[in-house]
Parts: sequence; structure tokens; C-alpha cells
Amino acid sequence: MPILSTNSLSLEINGQQILKEVSFSIEKGEIVGLIGPNGSGKTTLFNVLSGFLKHTDGKIDFEETDISEVSAPKRAQMGIGRVFQNFGIFREMTLEENVLVALESLPKEKRGEINNLKEKTKETLEFIGLANRAKEKASSLSGGQMRLLEIGRTLASGKELFLLDEPTAGVSPKMTNDVSSLIRELKDDGKTVMIIEHDLPFIAQICDRVFVLDVGSIVLEGDPQSVQHDVRLKEIYFGADPTN
Amino acid sequence: MPFFIHILFVISNWIPSMLSHNVIFGKGKIFHFGPMGVAIISSYGIVITLKSTGSFALAFLVGLVCALLISAVFAWLSVKLEPDALGVITLAMHIAILNIAINWTSLTRGALGIPGVPRLSFFSSNTTLSITMAVVAVLWIIFMLYLDRSSFGRQISALAEHEWYAKSIGISKIKINLIAFFIYALGMTIVAFFSMQYLTILHPNDFMFPAFIFYITCELAGKPGSVLGVTLAIVLLTILKEGLRFMPIPTGLTGPLELIIFGVILFVAVWWRRDSVFPNTRSV
Repeated sequence: MPILSTNSLSLEINGQQILKEVSFSIEKGEIVGLIGPNGSGKTTLFNVLSGFLKHTDGKIDFEETDISEVSAPKRAQMGIGRVFQNFGIFREMTLEENVLVALESLPKEKRGEINNLKEKTKETLEFIGLANRAKEKASSLSGGQMRLLEIGRTLASGKELFLLDEPTAGVSPKMTNDVSSLIRELKDDGKTVMIIEHDLPFIAQICDRVFVLDVGSIVLEGDPQSVQHDVRLKEIYFGADPTN
Repeated sequence: MPFFIHILFVISNWIPSMLSHNVIFGKGKIFHFGPMGVAIISSYGIVITLKSTGSFALAFLVGLVCALLISAVFAWLSVKLEPDALGVITLAMHIAILNIAINWTSLTRGALGIPGVPRLSFFSSNTTLSITMAVVAVLWIIFMLYLDRSSFGRQISALAEHEWYAKSIGISKIKINLIAFFIYALGMTIVAFFSMQYLTILHPNDFMFPAFIFYITCELAGKPGSVLGVTLAIVLLTILKEGLRFMPIPTGLTGPLELIIFGVILFVAVWWRRDSVFPNTRSV
């Protein structure tokens, strides 16, 4: 059963077609990479999937429910988690408050499943190795730590689908390993992950499948190895070789 | 002694409304520049009901319902508009509501105001009224401190820091803004209920622009979002404001001098807090 599927999803802004009939489906527990050159519409697609932009045509199904008309907060409450490229944490809050506010924003029935929100917050910070900094402001963290906090917070709030926008951007090489371990743990937990990344070796290492987006359309799809060696990928990124 | 009783009342009377507006403007960074609009509707609702029915409970209820209704409109606008547009629209609404109050003479007596507002028998003296108001103000400060540390406090701060990030964890802007505006409506109704009985006259001049300037000055000088900071600013600036009346200054100069002094304080406060007053604009 696909956890997320789109059917002919299109988006037009000011007469410009940003997404063109994007159709795909993702099975529960998969890690899917979304790659493509700058301006191809990757982040826009995430914005549409998480409800921040309203698509002009097509349909989005999450867990077999049409969520096309559902607001962004409601989609989050249904189980779609978003990790932003520029670190979507609240820098003026402490680490503890960052996790706590996410747990408090869950719908009543999901909040009821967590016995003690403060205890859950503590466990989450321990899980990502930041428990000793619980009372510090999030602005004091490094890029990698901010990323761990954001993913950890999303995990703690019981999301089923994770939309990760360049999770290794602005993260040191050492912390990149920590982030990729955390993403693997998400898979082990049966979570579904969709990742936008420019780092192709990272994508090849972690993903089950890859979609290549170009000028708003999915133009290539397959396992990471076959996509990485497909001659069309080079053309998408660097243009067609005129000597061929 | 009457001066201190008067100062006690004025300070205590500012606290519930100003601290509530501080939740919206200071903590939520929502540019709601129409608090006086809510004050006008609530105050007229209370006084007109009180004068026509004599029931204090009904008057309070009508004032509260009026304040909640107009606050719901402001909350809806805060969700639909960008901060700068909201600031302009809410200012315009304040002026529009004030104009209605002044020009609907058959109901409000216009610029003459409504004199002879009755008092609860318990509040026969100003001392009793001031002490009661002070108790209410202290309770309101405790309530605000509780809100500040509550789930609501964290959610409104999250929305103020980055709306998309807040929505992505499931925070509903309309729900949080409605709560914030309704808290203001309640605070304002309490203030109107007591101040109308203290003054015993409802006059449209009390809801002019300088009253709003005083709001913003106290909130900025005390640190936007800070309960204790704004409380301290209310105490100090009210003493300064009321104290000016007793300075040996020609009567005609007191008003303009007050405006100049508070204008300068507002300018300095905005300049000093320029990095924290306005909402952050970070890209996604």
C-alpha cells in the first residue's frame, strides 16, 4: 500500500508552470531520493506535499486519503513531517522547548498516547545525544546538531512520512555520518523518507529509489545505481553533449 | 493620599489590557494596532447596557461579547494579511470605530460622551475600587506569567519566530491567534468594566491615538513579550504620565508636552529594540 502518491500534480504561479503533471507513489518504509538541478522544482514539490503551496491541478493521497484540500498544520498532525533546508528549528527557544512544542502540537489522541511529554522530550534529546544541552538556546548549536534536533523532534512527534530537504546541507562531514545514521534508524523504525539531496554518493548510499526532477517533471526514476549511471542524468545537469 | 489611590487605580487598570496586548504584539509579533477599537466597542457595550438595564452582570457580559466579536474579526485579519498590511488595517479600523462612536449620536451621544455611569454599591469609594482593581491586576500578572510558560506561550512564540516551521509541526495559526485575541478581549472588558465605574463618564477622547501610543511605548520600553518588563514599564511610565499633570506647567502645554515626551520614549524604545520588535524573515 503506498503511503504517499500523487497523480498529475501541477503548479502554476503567475502563468509559469513550476510543476508539470508529477505522478509517483512511495511505499511505506521506503527511502526515496529526489534529485535534480537547481530550479527544477524539488523544494516546491515538498512545499506542495506539506501543504504550504496549493497545487493548481492533480491530487495527493496520504495513507489512502485525499489531502489536496488539507491545511499544512493538519497534514503535519496526520503524520507528514518536514525538515527544512535552512534548519526549521526555533532558535530563540531552548532545545527542550523545541521538542516540547512539537509534542504539544500533536492532536489530542496522539498526545494521549505519550504518557509524559517532558519525559518524552528528555528521551528524544538523549537519543540524538544533546540531552546535556537541553536548557541551552537552539541558536547555540552547530549546523549538524540543529539538523539532528530537527529530525529528532519530527521523529518524537510520531510522523510516518519524513520530507527531508537537503539534510546534509551546512553540516560538517563528521555530522553527515550522524545524520545518515539517524535516517537509517528511521527506516529501521518503518518510517518512510523522501530526501532532496545534491550529494549523489549520499543518495546512492541511503536510498532505495531515486526520482530525477527537471523543469518541474519527473524525467528519470529507478534504483540509485541505474540512475547514477544513466547518460540522461549528465544531460540534465550539464546539458546535452554537442559532439554526440 | 487621593493622588496615590488614583495612581494605584490607573496603573492597575492598564495592566490587564496592556499585558494582554503584549501577548499579541510582543510575544506573537502580530501587528495589531487596533486595541483601542476593541476598547471602544467593549466600553460602549458596557455603559449603554448598564444605563439601560442597571444590571452590572449583563453589562459585563454584553461588553465581553462585543469585545470577542470584534477581536474575532481582528484575529481573522491577522491570519489573512501580511504584518505591514495588518498594521495599517487595524489602525484604520480603530479610527473607523471611533468615528462611528462619535457620529452615532442617538446611541452614544457623540462627542458629549455618556455621563453618570453608575457604580456597584461595593465600590462607593475610590479606595475600594482601586484596591479591587489592584488585586485583579496582580491576578492578571500571575495569569500572564502562567500563559507565558504554557503550551500556548510556546506555540505563539514558535509562530512569531517562523510561521512555516511552526505550521510544519502542526501549530494552527488561526487557533493560536484567536486565543490571543480573545485573551485581549477579556482583559479589555475587565479594564473597561472597572474604568467606566471609576470615571463615571464614558468619553470618546479617552480612545484617541495618544492612548494607543502609550500602549506601544510601554510594551516596547518594557521589552516586547516580557510580562514583568512591561509591568515595570507600565508602573514607571504611568507615574511619569500622571506626574506631569502636577508639574507647574501651563494647562494648555501639558497635553502637547506629554505627547512629545512619549513620542521620544517610543522612538528610543523602537531604536533600542529594532532587532527584536519586527518578525524575522527567514527563507525556507
